[in-house]
Formats: sequence, C-alpha cells, structure tokens
Amino acid sequence: MSVQQLLPKGIWLLPLFLLFTFFQAKSQDQAGSILITGKITDESGNGVPGASILVKGTGKRTNAKDDGAFSIPVSTGNETLVVTSVGFAKKEIPLNGQTNLTISMTSEKSTLEDVVVIGYGTQKRRNVTGAQASFNASKLDERPVTRVDQALVGQMPGVAVKQTTGAVGKGFSVQVRGTGTITAGSEPLYVIDGFPLSTSSVNAAGNFANGNPLDNINPNDIEDIQVLKDAASAAIYGSRAANGVVLITTKRGKAGKPRINVNSYVGFNEANRKLDMLNGNEWIDRFTEMVNAKYVADYGSKGALASDDSTRRRQLLGLGSTGYNTTYMTDPRWEDPAHPGLRFINWQDEVFRKGLMQNHQVSASGGNEYVRYYVSGNMARQEGMVINTDYTSYSARANVEINASKKLKFGINITPTYSITNDPGVEGKDNILHQVLSMSPVQEDTMGLFPNTALNNQYKWSNSTNSPYAKLKYILGQTRRFRTITSVFGEYQIIPGLSFKTTVNLDNTDNDSKSYTPYIVTNSLTTRLASASALASGSFNSYRKQTFVNENTFNFNKTINNVHDISAVVGFTYNSDKLDAQEIKSNGGYRIDGVPTLNMAYGYTSTTTETRNVLLSYLGRVQYSYDGKYMLSASIRRDGSSRFGANSKWGYYPSASIGWRISEEDFLKSIPVINDLKLRASWGKAGNYQIPDYASIPQLAANNYSLNNAPAVGWVTGNLPNANLTWEKSSTYDAGLDVTVLNNHLSASFDIYTRKSSALLLNVPIPWTTGFPTQLTNIGQTRNKGWEIDITSRNIVKGPVQWTTSINLSRNTNKLLSLGEGQSQIIIPSAFSGAQHSILRVGEPLYSIFVIKQTGILTQDDINKKVATFGPETVGDPKYEDFTPDGVIDLNDRQIVGHPNPDYIYGITNTVRWNGFDLSVLVQGQHGGSIYSLLDRALGRTGQGTVDNALGFFRDRWRSPDDPGAGKVGKAFSTFGSTANTDWLYSSDYIRVRMITVGYDLNRVIKAKKVLSAARVYITAENFFGHDKYKGGLNPEANNTDLSGNNFFPEPGDYGGLPLPKSLILGVNFSF
Amino acid sequence: MKKIVGYSLIAIAGLLSACDKQLDQSPISGVATDKFYTQPADFIQGVNAVYSGLRTYPDRLLNLSETRSDNLYAVSDGGVRDWEGINSFYKTIAGNVYVTEAWSGNYSGIFKANSLLEQLSSKGAAIIADPVLRTQLEAETRFLRAYYYFDLVRWFGRVPIIDKTLLPQEALQVGRSAVNDVYSFIISDLKFAADNLPDAYSAAADKGRATKYAAKGTLALVYMTRSGPTYDINGPGLGVNEWNLALPLLQEIIDSKKFVFGTSYANIFSYTNENNPEVIFDVEYNTGSTPVTGATFPWLLVPDTWFQSQSKQTQGGLTIRPVSNDLLNSYEAGDTRKAFSIQSGFTNNNVTESRSFFKKYVDVSKTPSNRLDWPINFIALRFTDVLMMKAECILHGAPGSQTDVDGIVNQVRGRAGLTPITNVTLPRLMEERRKEFAAEGSRWHDLVRSGLIESTMTTWITKEDVGHFMQPFQKNYILYPIPQSELDVKPGLYDQNLGY
Repeated sequence: MSVQQLLPKGIWLLPLFLLFTFFQAKSQDQAGSILITGKITDESGNGVPGASILVKGTGKRTNAKDDGAFSIPVSTGNETLVVTSVGFAKKEIPLNGQTNLTISMTSEKSTLEDVVVIGYGTQKRRNVTGAQASFNASKLDERPVTRVDQALVGQMPGVAVKQTTGAVGKGFSVQVRGTGTITAGSEPLYVIDGFPLSTSSVNAAGNFANGNPLDNINPNDIEDIQVLKDAASAAIYGSRAANGVVLITTKRGKAGKPRINVNSYVGFNEANRKLDMLNGNEWIDRFTEMVNAKYVADYGSKGALASDDSTRRRQLLGLGSTGYNTTYMTDPRWEDPAHPGLRFINWQDEVFRKGLMQNHQVSASGGNEYVRYYVSGNMARQEGMVINTDYTSYSARANVEINASKKLKFGINITPTYSITNDPGVEGKDNILHQVLSMSPVQEDTMGLFPNTALNNQYKWSNSTNSPYAKLKYILGQTRRFRTITSVFGEYQIIPGLSFKTTVNLDNTDNDSKSYTPYIVTNSLTTRLASASALASGSFNSYRKQTFVNENTFNFNKTINNVHDISAVVGFTYNSDKLDAQEIKSNGGYRIDGVPTLNMAYGYTSTTTETRNVLLSYLGRVQYSYDGKYMLSASIRRDGSSRFGANSKWGYYPSASIGWRISEEDFLKSIPVINDLKLRASWGKAGNYQIPDYASIPQLAANNYSLNNAPAVGWVTGNLPNANLTWEKSSTYDAGLDVTVLNNHLSASFDIYTRKSSALLLNVPIPWTTGFPTQLTNIGQTRNKGWEIDITSRNIVKGPVQWTTSINLSRNTNKLLSLGEGQSQIIIPSAFSGAQHSILRVGEPLYSIFVIKQTGILTQDDINKKVATFGPETVGDPKYEDFTPDGVIDLNDRQIVGHPNPDYIYGITNTVRWNGFDLSVLVQGQHGGSIYSLLDRALGRTGQGTVDNALGFFRDRWRSPDDPGAGKVGKAFSTFGSTANTDWLYSSDYIRVRMITVGYDLNRVIKAKKVLSAARVYITAENFFGHDKYKGGLNPEANNTDLSGNNFFPEPGDYGGLPLPKSLILGVNFSF
Repeated sequence: MKKIVGYSLIAIAGLLSACDKQLDQSPISGVATDKFYTQPADFIQGVNAVYSGLRTYPDRLLNLSETRSDNLYAVSDGGVRDWEGINSFYKTIAGNVYVTEAWSGNYSGIFKANSLLEQLSSKGAAIIADPVLRTQLEAETRFLRAYYYFDLVRWFGRVPIIDKTLLPQEALQVGRSAVNDVYSFIISDLKFAADNLPDAYSAAADKGRATKYAAKGTLALVYMTRSGPTYDINGPGLGVNEWNLALPLLQEIIDSKKFVFGTSYANIFSYTNENNPEVIFDVEYNTGSTPVTGATFPWLLVPDTWFQSQSKQTQGGLTIRPVSNDLLNSYEAGDTRKAFSIQSGFTNNNVTESRSFFKKYVDVSKTPSNRLDWPINFIALRFTDVLMMKAECILHGAPGSQTDVDGIVNQVRGRAGLTPITNVTLPRLMEERRKEFAAEGSRWHDLVRSGLIESTMTTWITKEDVGHFMQPFQKNYILYPIPQSELDVKPGLYDQNLGY
C-alpha cells in the first residue's frame, strides 16, 4: 500500500503558494521598476522584523522593518522573491504579477535550508551526513518541566530518556542508542553553546552524586537541542563521544526592536499512581494465618491447635497472664470487626499530596548591528508529591554578542543559578517511601500517625520502623546548589572565509547539603528514653566542581564557482576538571535537640578530598559538498587524558561520512512526488573515559589495625595498577536515508547502525589470589545494533484546521561479544543476600536477568512425583523449573529470563491548530525490556515475615489445595527460604500520554496587538494517562538503589522509587 | 591584526608544550605506592596492614564454625538471612557471602603479607638499619601469612599457594595445591616465626603483636589438625599422627611461665582485663578511631531486640541465632560458664523471646555509638586452650599420663564450679572443650579434628531438628565449597569440592 492511499483524499493537493492567491494584485506594467510592497509575518500574523527579501537572480535585496513591512522594486513583476529569516523556513514566492502581498513564514524546524548546530560549527541541514536528531525547544516553556532532560522524553529516535525518579529536581538518565559499556559511564556528553561540560554518570545507586551536567539549566532559555548519535557526527568530540553528544543552544538576541517575553504558569502535581498493598483487614488475615501455622508447627507436638485462644497459647508458651509472644499470638482486638483501639492506616494516602508548582520567566532580547543581547530571569518552584519535599530554583542568563569591528566579534554568556531542594531521603532501600509501603497498616489508635516516634512505643504487632510520616515531618535533608556557567569568546576574521575563534569557559558548582535526624524518629522507645541526645545525627557535605575549558579553532568556509562548498576546522582544546569535596558528620549525638547545625553535636568527624583530571585535544575536520549533491566529511581528533596509564594516555578518533542527494540527480528531478531524497553513510570511532581519576596508578589504602587499645596505622596498596589503562573505544557504522515527499507533506529519516565497543573499561574478575577481586582493564567487547525512524507528517496544512504528526520509533539491542580471556560470564554480585539476579554472558544482552523460573505452585501430586524442590518445600510453596535437571532446585537452575533495556522506544506527537486554538499530545513508551524488582524483596518474598505489609496480589495467595489462589503466590507460612526467581520479574513495557497541551491565542479576543505581539494561554496535563505491567513498584524506570553493591558493576534498580508526577498547569505567555 | 594572530599562534604553541606535562596528574588526596616505604615506620605501618586482615577473623569463626556446629540451632525464622544454608547444610552455598569472605579475606591478607615481604627484601636492608627489627617484621608477616593459610586450609582443604604478589595473568595459572603442600608452606612460615619473633614486646604500644608463643601455639594446632582423620575428602586432616610434634611446643609455652591460667572465667573476657595473662594471641580492637578499628563480633549472634530491651541502639545482629537445646542441656548444674556465655530469653516491649543466645562478648555498658565499633579484643589462642590441647595430644598417644589429662580437665572444671572427674576420654574432653570454648568458634574444628563430626552432627540433627528444616549431614560438608565467583573467573582453574 502506498503512503498516499493511507491519506484522506485531496488534503495535500495544494502547493503552498496557493495560500497567496488570495492576495490578487493588479500588475503595474509600467516600464522600469515596479514597487512591490508587503509584510512578512510569522504563523500568528505577527511581523517578522529584519527578514531578508531577495529578488531571485538579482542582487536586489532589502530587510523588513520592525513591523515586518517591506518594499522592493522589481522590473517585470514576474520575478520570484526569496525570503529568509533566522528561525523560519526559506520561502520562494513567484510574484506572478502581484504587487502587494503578505508572506507568512513557517517556523517549522525540519526544513532543509535550516542551519543546524554541529560539533564545532554549524551546517546547513541539507548537507548533514551524520545521524543527528533535533529537538525544537520552542515549546519548552509551555510544559511544567523543571529540567531540560525531562523535556527530551519521547522526542527523538534513539534517545532514551529515563525518568528514574519521582523526586523533585533530580537528573534523568539519558542513553543514546543503548549502552555499550559495562563499568564506565554511559551518559552522553553535554555541550552548551560550544562549552563541553564535564561528563557525569549515575553512581551504582542510580544517582548523580556529584551533580548532573543539566542541573540548574533553565529549560526556558533553550533554543535548540541536537543529539549527535553516530560516531561520524560525534567523533569530533573524540574520547567523550562514545555515548553520544547533546548540543544545547541557548536563546540569543536578534537585531531589531527589543522584545520582551513573559511566561508564567501555575499548577499542581501529584503521584500518578499508588501501589496496591494489602489493607488492614487483609494484613490481619495474612498475619493470623502465618502465626497459627507457626504455632501449630512448633507446638503441635504439645497439642497446639490453630483455634487455641490467647490463654491457652500462654499456657503452652509458658508466658505470664499478660505476656505476649507475637511469633505465636495475635492481637485479640483483631477479631472484633470494630477493632477497638486500633487504627487502620493507608500510609500512602497520608504522605502523598497535591504539590503546587509554578514557574515565572521574563526575558528581553534585541540588538542592532553592534550588539545583540538576550537576558532572562527565572523563578521556579515545585512542591513534590510527597509532603515536605520541594525544589526551588532561581536563574538568570545574559547572552551578549558585540561586533567590535567588521572582523572582530566578542561575546559573553553568563548564567548564575541557585537552587534549593528539600528531600529528607524518600527514595531507595530502607528510605522513607520503602517504609511507607512496608509499614504495618494496623496501628494503635492512640499513636495516630506517629507509632514508634518520640514518646510513642511501637505497636506490638507492627514492624519496628519509626513512623515514616514522622520521618517526613522531622528529618531535614536540604541541598543548595549555586552554579554559574560562564563563556567568553572572541572571533577574528583573518581573511574572508577564514576566522580564528578562542573561547574560555568556566563551569563552577558549589553544592552543599545538610541533613539532620532528630532522636525522636530513631531507635525504639526504651532506647530513646535512655539515651535521647546520643541518637540525633546530622551531617554537612559540600563540593565544589569546576570545569575549565579553553578552545581555539580556525574555521574556514568557501564556496567556489557556486558548486564547491568547502569548510574546515582545526583546533586545540584544554580541559580541566577539579572536584573538591568536604564532609562533616556528627559523632555521638547532639547536645541539644532541634538545632540542626553541627556546632551542637557532641563531636564530629570530617574529611576533605580533591581530585583533578586534564584532557588535551587536537581536532580537525573537512567538509565538502558538490552542488548540494555529493557531500563528504572527515574528522579526526587526538585526545590525551591524565586518567590513563603512563603508556597509553593518547588516543585517535577518526571519522568519515558521505552523503548523496539523489533528488538533485536528473533522473529523480522529474519525479515530482519526491521533494528531497538523501542517502548517508558514515563510520567513526569515539571513546569513553568515564572512570575515576587516578585509576591507573597504584595507591595506598588505609588498612588500620588496633594495638593495645589504640589505632595502629596501616598502609598497603589498595588497587591493582594498570599502566596500560586506556580509552574504551567504540566504532559505529551508520547508514541513513532522509526523504521528503508529497509536496513536503511527509518527511522521514531512517537510520540503521552498528556500534561495536571494544577494549571496554571493564573491572574484569580475577582470582582473589592476587589480593583483589577485579582489575580495571581494557578488555571485552559489546555491540549495539538498531534502527531508527523519524517521520513528520503534515496531515492537514490548509484551511482552518492544521494537523501535524511526528512519530519516532527506534529499536536497539545490545549483546556482549566477549569478556576477559577465556571468560564466558560474570554473575553480578548482589548487595542483598539471596538476590543475585544478573549476569554478563557472552552472546547475551548486558546485565541479563538470570534467575530460577517459577512455574506454578506445588501440589500434592507434584510432591508424590518427587518433582524438584528448593530445600524443604512442601505443598503450596512455589514450584520452580529444574533447568539443569538433577532433581533439586538450586543455583544451577538459573536461566536468562529477560534483559533490562527495552527493545523499542517510541514517541508520537500530534499537533492540531484551529481558530487560534492549538492542541498538542505526546504519547510515549517502550517495549521489550524487563525489570527485576528488589522492592519485592521487601514486599513480596517467599517466606516473608508477618509484620511487613505485602503487595496486593498476596490476597490471591495459595491458601489450601481447594483454594490455590492465582498461581503466583504460594502459602503465607513457608520456611524453605528464598531464592532469586521470576516472582520479582516484571515487564518494563509502558505506554504513556506524557503531555496534553491546549493553547489559545488571546490576541484574537483582547485586540491589543499594538502592545502585545503575542498573547497566549494554555493548559498542560502531564502523565495523566498510561499503562504498564509493573506491579512490584511505582515506576518501571525507577532507579534508586545499588543492587550489585559493587561499583565495578553498577546496577541501579528499584527498591522504593516514587511514581511519576502527574501535573496540571495553567500558563500564560506574553510578548511585547 | 595580523600581528595579534601571529602572537596568538605562538602563545598557543607555548601552551601546548606546557599542557602536555599536565597529563601526569598524581593523586591529590592519596599517596601513590611508589612514594611510600622510605623510612622504617613505613614498614611497620605495612605490617600493621597485614594484621588488619585479622579483623574479620572472629566474625568468620562465628559464622562458619559456631553457626554450622551443633552449638547453634539457627534455622530460618522466615527471613532471608546470610547464614541460611550454612546452618542447615544446603548444597547451594558456593555463592554465600560468608563462604566468599573466608576465601577473599584470607587471600587479601596473604597479598598484604607478600607485598610487604617483597618490599622488605628489596628495600628493607637499605632503609631499616636495625637487623633485629627487620627480622621481627618479616617474622610477624610470615606468622600472619601462615595464619591466613591455616584458616583457608581448614575451610577449603586444597588451596592455591601464593608466595609473592601476582599479576592477574600469573594468578590465572596457579591452581589448587595439595593439602600437604599447603601445610609445608604454613609450617615453614610458622617455624621461621617461632624462631625469630620476640618472647614479648617491651613497648606497651606493641601489645597485641604476635610473639614466639603465638607462633608455637599455632604450629602445635597445625600439627594436631594435620593429625586428624582424613575422611577421604582432601580436608584439613591428613591422619599423620604428629601429636608428639605438637606436645613439646605446647609444653614450651607452659614452661615459659609467661601465661597464667585465669582464676575467673568471666574475667578472661572482661572489657577491663584485656591482654591478661591467659591471652597468647588475640585479634585487637579499639573504639572511637577513624577509620573505625572496632569489632562487630560481639553482637553477631545477638538479636537486635535484646539490645532494644537494654535500651540500646540498633546493633547488627537483627534476628536471633538460638543456642541449641543440646548445648543448653549439656551444661551441668552449677556450671558458672553457662550464665556468662548464654542469655536465656528476654522480654522486649512486652514480647517474650524464650530462646537463648550467646552474649559472651557483650558488656551492655560498653555499647558504642557506632555498632561497628565495639572495643573488645577477640582471644584467638588462650592458655586454657594450650592446656587442653596438651591433654588432647596425650590422649592421642603423645607422652604423658591419664593423670595429666584428668588434672587439666579438672583444673578447667574447677574454675567453672564443677566437681572433678576421672578417666577422661577423647569424647569427654571434646565435650568439656565445647562448654569452655562456647561461642569462641572452635566447635566445628574440634569435631573435625577429633573425628567425631559425622556421628555428632547426625545424632544432633535427628534430635534437635524436629521440624526438618535441615538437610542431612554429609562428610563432604566438613569443607566449604570454593566460592562460585572464583570458579567463574576461569572455568577449570579450580575444581569444586566434593558434594557441592
């Protein structure tokens, strides 16, 4: 079926210029010149000041005035006008005799004459030969996003943006075309206005411990984002480009009258879902069942019956008349339907709330031929979905460019920002959310929401956790960050076409965080009473992170004979990263309660550390295009880093790409349906150096002992040195096709690629007989393969309704090709006993899930047939697959049952405009990955104890052979233990309506066009609808806990992550 | 303007050469190893690091010896606990963290020892002027290396012998050695240590370092362990009958008069009586230092709820590892050691725990603010043990009489408030040891060495494990499995122990 058949008939028939046939004009057929007058407008009808109007084939040109009006003389009246303006598509208008016309410019980004930002320069989009994804940031200020990475979700093929946290103000994880590395970082390099920021990776727990490059970057200031995906476009960034490069351009001033923009929104956000846990009655039901079973198992020989009352049980247990043993006895009040004196609590309801969010931005921009400026100020505040969590940020920006002379240009970008985050530690294992979920839902009424807090004791049948509600109320956790990014540049034109540019950049972050836990939410009541002041604890951590970059480049651009387009760049850059960290922790409690600063601590321990690394680079690139038909680009970079071994500090990163615009060939020119068709192919090599500083040098580690009750200082080498340690390298082949057809109604890009990463920076397991479990070595290979498709379809362009659909879909699979010599697999260690569950196995995806498979529930028939069991399993316990058939279930029966990365990610955006209204809907999702939920270890393990609450599906557990439940959860009372199996395995597939925005152009009603060049009001809803299959947690992408317990195999996972925030905001947008 | 460009180019060229040097960054907050070992104190600190490998030894004994033996009946209460399978004889414990730690902790200590011995042999003579100190440092290091190997051979049987620091590619060539070869290596180190370590250290700050007698006592135990039955499992017993090699070493310790049989059992373990004359070798801890050099073994077998009942902060024990009824019942009436070693039940928050647990090393009043920082030392070899080892040698045919044996046993019984007995047999001696050294981590090794393990464990499981939470005992379980992670490094480099 051809594409055309899929579309409503006739929609696309009219070419663009027909729009202007409304403006019938009388031709003034006088000899000599005819004056053409008119107005250049944007899509909303506002004038486009400074637009350039050229009479095609002549040198005649003019610029539009501030209101967009222009006039230009022509000779015949049948010429064609060429209108260009930055940010708009070039437009050619055949006059056909008209003398007065209004020309509406389209600000669609993906038009071929656009200039796109590439590494160390810009390029016409039509000449791009690498795989590069673009994100038009123009609508960023209409979404309740507080971070740039948040806005990228679902926007670009091959760019997986994972919202791994529901906490406010935290960084997202971004992966370009999958992950090729096992140990080293996998986040891309971010470059803001040409300034490569220090790379920073998530730690093993999934957090950006020393900051994310996008922290405090105000999304409202962003003009454009480009993601360099293949090595050919990214290799100019050499050793840091293996994970892709994200180029961010901020807004600049344009010549013309000052333009003032006001953006403001207010709304709320809340949890998009809650976790299905047992309610009070169901919890009691499970507790009672287990206690009775245990009582009968242990005291059955003495005549114990499940029906025994408390008195009888006390006799058997040898307790006094008021004694309780909660292992064998229940609370008598449970049996009373009114459960007097008890309170049933849904802890999630108590801690989740609607949080207010608001954002206010004012910017001014403008300029003349000497100075152009953009200045902005922004204030954003978001209250989290959990009580007492919030994020506030203040930021300002000044981008100024000065033309000192015709040849000399200077500029400065400066961005001071300040943010405050309040989070007492909600996400992650044993943190507040985990406790909210696992807290017993039945408590003493007298304690309210404060069991085991201050003077309240714990309810006897509850877990011993201090009230998570109280923790949220009383624990302080505040992070304050002051970050300033400053770039200064000077550019000098040596001869026309050749210029020299130097930039000096400094990114300085001062981050401090303080925490304070008062004694009232620690320990048990008796301990609190006995030693209150000793139980409070607090800390103060801070770091200063500085990245200094100096880049010097020569740029050459020349067009020869109108057909040979040549551009070249050579350069040298210096890059230094410095991190100074300090920590002070209280020791032995506080002298007085309630003062969080450490001057009140009894004692404290403190430490300071510093690290630094230097990167030197030489780079060069040549681009050539012949008549817009044949394109060629080649680049090389040489990088040297202080992180690597004495023998191997330097690496080369070459790349080459070619492009062929077939649509310019005569044989295709005659096919009108094809507007543009370009083939691309590229190859390149990029590197990864995201490992700690000094990893190649043997360093002493403190190994103190104690002698005669005093510390005995001990030092010994703490790592295995590797003087040959060097870059992890990846080489990527990419082939692509860009096509625009059907009168520019449908444009699509298709890419297929293979990225092979080799000499991985791998902590390869070695025998402990060396004194160490692993050595950081360059060994092993991985491969990422996939394809991406990006389609933009202007379904309806004419008439009152306009409708555009953008679809991006990508597939990526990774595979481990080799490990250390002779090694075929590494089983990833687990931070939690009994929970090893991932494997690196040659031929399989990275971090494949490797557990025993549950096949059902054991029946008496199974037992009679002696099916394999795990330890002393009995009827009603889970049945596992004897994968290595030897009659017993043990670790040898583990098999690969899934992999964490999705096979497919997709995003679909539909935009509809009608009569001043606009509607935009983003649907986004992923498919094919799995999640192994360690939160289930707390909420749903086999043999789980009585007190912790359990996941909702435990109500469908096995109760008896006649009441076998849903077949997943075995009987509540089991004593065979626990082994990592598929009961915690879930699909990570989801589909989500990420955003719905409805806007209206107020200028249609308020008629204030003289003052307001734009006025818009909008409502945006985020994350209101969606579906996923994750029953063991709240967010299938959540990462908050270090599952491997081992920095060498970073494996962040979910052990208590917040759901996504769903938000609804109302915003206005004014331009003067 | 052209000039400016020219100058800029020159400036850049200058910058480039200056920058190249910046690629040699050395740690700002750390020390590169090649800048160390420049003065005698550096070597002493190097030896201290070798000692630091002992810090996990007491916990390991409690987890792998005490928990696996008939002293504890620590089957699952339903939770996921790290000792699951250790106590109930699961076949699938090759990935268990305690088993892995026994391998990694000891080889880490061996690396530290080899590393220091290499520095001593290459730079020691030039930097340490005093030959006595130099020899002493080597002897201490070799004593510790032997200690680590002896621990390994008792848990795993055949293990790789590593006598120098290895690169990974070298280590990948070294397989497991025969038990006999491992012992030869141990004995040679211990003999060197016994010959070259001082009788005692004059400086108080050196209290806790290994002495000649620590080496001799350990060597005696090595001979005795080798003399145990083989069970045909390539385990620590070689059936070599070297009881008469062990006895003179023990006698030397006794004859040195440097050690005294303590008059009060409780006093031996008192927080205020560390390094008392009963102690021959201990693992030392202190509290309040940074980095932490305190102990965790005191609470390892103690449930956290008991600390709560004592109004103390959370310790690490979490759930109870109950003392077996068999051990509880085996104490004779009036045995003062029972009340000292064992807490029998308690009530916390009106909830009663009726089972008993070992609280031998806990002095509640000394609970530190950091649960990893208990101040008490762990006595690894004490004089009472030397005496009872002597009795054991005699019962196995080394020179001596039944009177000597009975005398020793009755000395120990007397201190515990018990009446004398006569004609002590080997099983009876082991039963006496069980109570004297309860919670000291020797029970498993005693059973293995004496040849009693199969019958004792099988009988005990039948009697104690009425709920059938345990798997049947097999003699292969005398050894632990080689950690799975080690087998995975290079398949075929090590074979797995039988039965796993």
